[in-house]
Amino acid sequence: MKALTANRLLDGEVVFWNAGQWVERFADAQLWADDDPAAIAAEATAKNQPKVVVDAYLIDLVESEGLWAPLSYRERIRALGPSNHLHHGKQAEGGAVIAALQHAHGAARSTGRVNLIKRK
Amino acid sequence: MPTLIELKDGVAKAAEDPFTHVADDQDMASGDVIVSLGRFQAEGEGLLSEGRRVGVRLKAEEEVEALAYDLPQLSVVALEFPKYRDGRAYTNARLLRERFHFKGEVRAVGDVLREQAAFMVRVGFDAFEPADDASSNEWQAAAHRYRHVYQRSADGRAPAFAEREG
Amino acid sequence: MYQYDTIDKAMLADRSAEFRGQVARRLAGELTEDQFKPLRLMNGLYLQLHAYMLRVAIPYGSLNPTQLRKLAWIGRTYDKGYGHFTTRTNLQFHWIKLADTPDILDHLASVDMHAIQTSGNCIRNTTTDPYAGATAEEVDDPRVWAEAIRQWSTFHPEFSFLPRKFKIAITAAPKDRTAARVHDIGLVLKRARDGALGFEVIVGGGMGRTPYVGPTIREFLPVNRLLSYLEAILRVYNRHGRRDNIYKARIKILVAALGKDEFARQVEAEWAKIGEGADLPDTELARIRGAFAQTNFETLPAQSEAFEAAKAAKPAFARFVRNNVKPHKRPGYGIVEISLKGIGDTPGDATSEQMEVVADLAEQYGLGDIRVTHEQNLVLPHVKLDDVPAVWAALAEAGIATPNINLVSDIIACPGLDYCALANARAIPIAQHIAEKFRDQDRAEKIGELKIKISGCINACGHHHVGHIGILGVDKKGEEFYQLTLGGSGAEDASVGSMLGPALPYDKVADAVDTLVDVYLRERHDGERFLDTFRRTGVTPFKEAVYADAH
Repeated sequence: MKALTANRLLDGEVVFWNAGQWVERFADAQLWADDDPAAIAAEATAKNQPKVVVDAYLIDLVESEGLWAPLSYRERIRALGPSNHLHHGKQAEGGAVIAALQHAHGAARSTGRVNLIKRK
Repeated sequence: MPTLIELKDGVAKAAEDPFTHVADDQDMASGDVIVSLGRFQAEGEGLLSEGRRVGVRLKAEEEVEALAYDLPQLSVVALEFPKYRDGRAYTNARLLRERFHFKGEVRAVGDVLREQAAFMVRVGFDAFEPADDASSNEWQAAAHRYRHVYQRSADGRAPAFAEREG
Repeated sequence: MYQYDTIDKAMLADRSAEFRGQVARRLAGELTEDQFKPLRLMNGLYLQLHAYMLRVAIPYGSLNPTQLRKLAWIGRTYDKGYGHFTTRTNLQFHWIKLADTPDILDHLASVDMHAIQTSGNCIRNTTTDPYAGATAEEVDDPRVWAEAIRQWSTFHPEFSFLPRKFKIAITAAPKDRTAARVHDIGLVLKRARDGALGFEVIVGGGMGRTPYVGPTIREFLPVNRLLSYLEAILRVYNRHGRRDNIYKARIKILVAALGKDEFARQVEAEWAKIGEGADLPDTELARIRGAFAQTNFETLPAQSEAFEAAKAAKPAFARFVRNNVKPHKRPGYGIVEISLKGIGDTPGDATSEQMEVVADLAEQYGLGDIRVTHEQNLVLPHVKLDDVPAVWAALAEAGIATPNINLVSDIIACPGLDYCALANARAIPIAQHIAEKFRDQDRAEKIGELKIKISGCINACGHHHVGHIGILGVDKKGEEFYQLTLGGSGAEDASVGSMLGPALPYDKVADAVDTLVDVYLRERHDGERFLDTFRRTGVTPFKEAVYADAH
């Protein structure tokens, strides 16, 4: 599965794509099957919003506690907040999706991030 | 053709460019021309003998010392910024003015953005081919944004320490 | 302390106005992100994992109470009530909104602060000895020269687009608290036999992907020739430093490629052409020097009864004094180090409340002077011994009286993958795990000086190459691993650490450090620091112990 993420231009907040809107919670993100062309289309649309977000890219997901979580550690930290201040960032609100993210295992770079690195 | 902005007596103005940039693989144009260092070294004497004004365009990695003996005959030295981040042309410009006392035009070409204007003016550039479509008014504002400077440079502005002495 | 005049203040106001315009153009879509990014970086504004990060310059690590209170206020108003002190003696705010930054820069300017040149390929904040003006070890006050360099390097028209960033450190004491030998330029102030002051000039040290201890290119540069000599070095670098590969663009690569003798020859040739016209006039040097002359010391007896009585009565205070209070050049005064390395806390973080406590203490007991160290701690450089018990009590109340300066839990750590967009692995939790392991203060004191430095990527913001124990986070197929190095030092006996062995997983690092310390305690001779023992025994006993444990 995949999700689409970026940082919002105005405040740098980590955001996720859902049906043409940017949402702040990973729990609210739209998820696509790996081969769904709609994901690529959404990414293209997002990259065309320079006044809204910076650096939109797709991330790979992994199953955790029956839910989906970002595969790479970096993306889990983006979706949660810093691990040294557990009351900072998105993780502060708690809940099942946050718990699933915190307990997720997986070890690979997100393919979207790899593309981003190559692009630069 | 890019718009040319000239700085005269501290005022930036849009100007007609009397010079033609002639690339190494182009036929020589008529009138006043700006050519590469290599082409100048091969054809410069002939061009100058025709009575036209000649400028040389230096790449970032070419150093003004290569022109040391030719400078009195040159009307323009154009210094290239392949990327705005490439700061070698600042040294070339400053040495042209401070060390070689070049009195002709020092022109900024390439990735020339108004955000660099103040730095460029300070090291001695007095003509600019902006790559960002900056107007002469915008260039003027950007070049003179800072009321004071901390260091001596080719523009002769009094640095903070000299102002303090009064 | 140096006071900004109308010229310095106008500089900051003009810069702030310029950035306000650039932010407005970005938000209006007139600038693309590619065009805007270098502009925001020139103002210390990064986009990190969770938000924008604003890096505020603290020139040569020197702050007054008003400035520290303003930083506390900004932390509370625009961030989450804290700030992070860095190894460049700057302060980072990690939860900043782009739209707020022009206002924040105005607030900073109101107390003579800014974020100028805290990023970008320019001359960064010049660092110096946090004990400057307070230690008897120094031959001159290095802040005089740091301030001269601050002005010279600010908006330098020729040297603002160098091949890569450029960092200068100055020390005037034989005991180097600035890591001068691993800087692009390290300046060591010395006094010649005839009394003349000069700099030993070290060029081309550095960390990152290719660590070097810098060579000395000039043994003695007369102090009043400093700026022309710097101009010569920077000009050679600006012209000949590599621009084709970001990892080979620092001056250390140029110096290594040319060899130090040829590099020095080029600098000297350029310097001869520049001449004395580029140096600062003596009148300006005298003006700057006057600003740092501390005239309000009291004449005190060397011994303080109150201080001695408190040490005798309170073991915790005595421990604080042993580790955090250093000798002052004036009788009856001490230098008080404030550790931002509380056990389990984030190295270098201070809450807004803690900053306010330190500001109040500096005002009440510390002649209004506060310093930031490159080891991410704070210093009150001028405290009367009579007042140290009160300062300690207030610090303890605020949770910042940890008595661990230079001990195993006084760890440098970069923000790492918890915040930084460049990081491969976390650094902060590793520091926290290690500090927890050595929570027992008796044991920590028994171990003695041990500098652990942790970086979350090869850029080495956490100075891992020069840690007695260095820890580098690496990414192995998306998982956090850590490479340990031993025997590095950033001090006057500078050296780059050598690799211990294969990288260890996240949850094995603190145990490995514990093992390394056990080997040291077993092997050490009287009076040896960890570093000394390692240099005598070599890596073998350490390696055998750690990798025996791992299997």
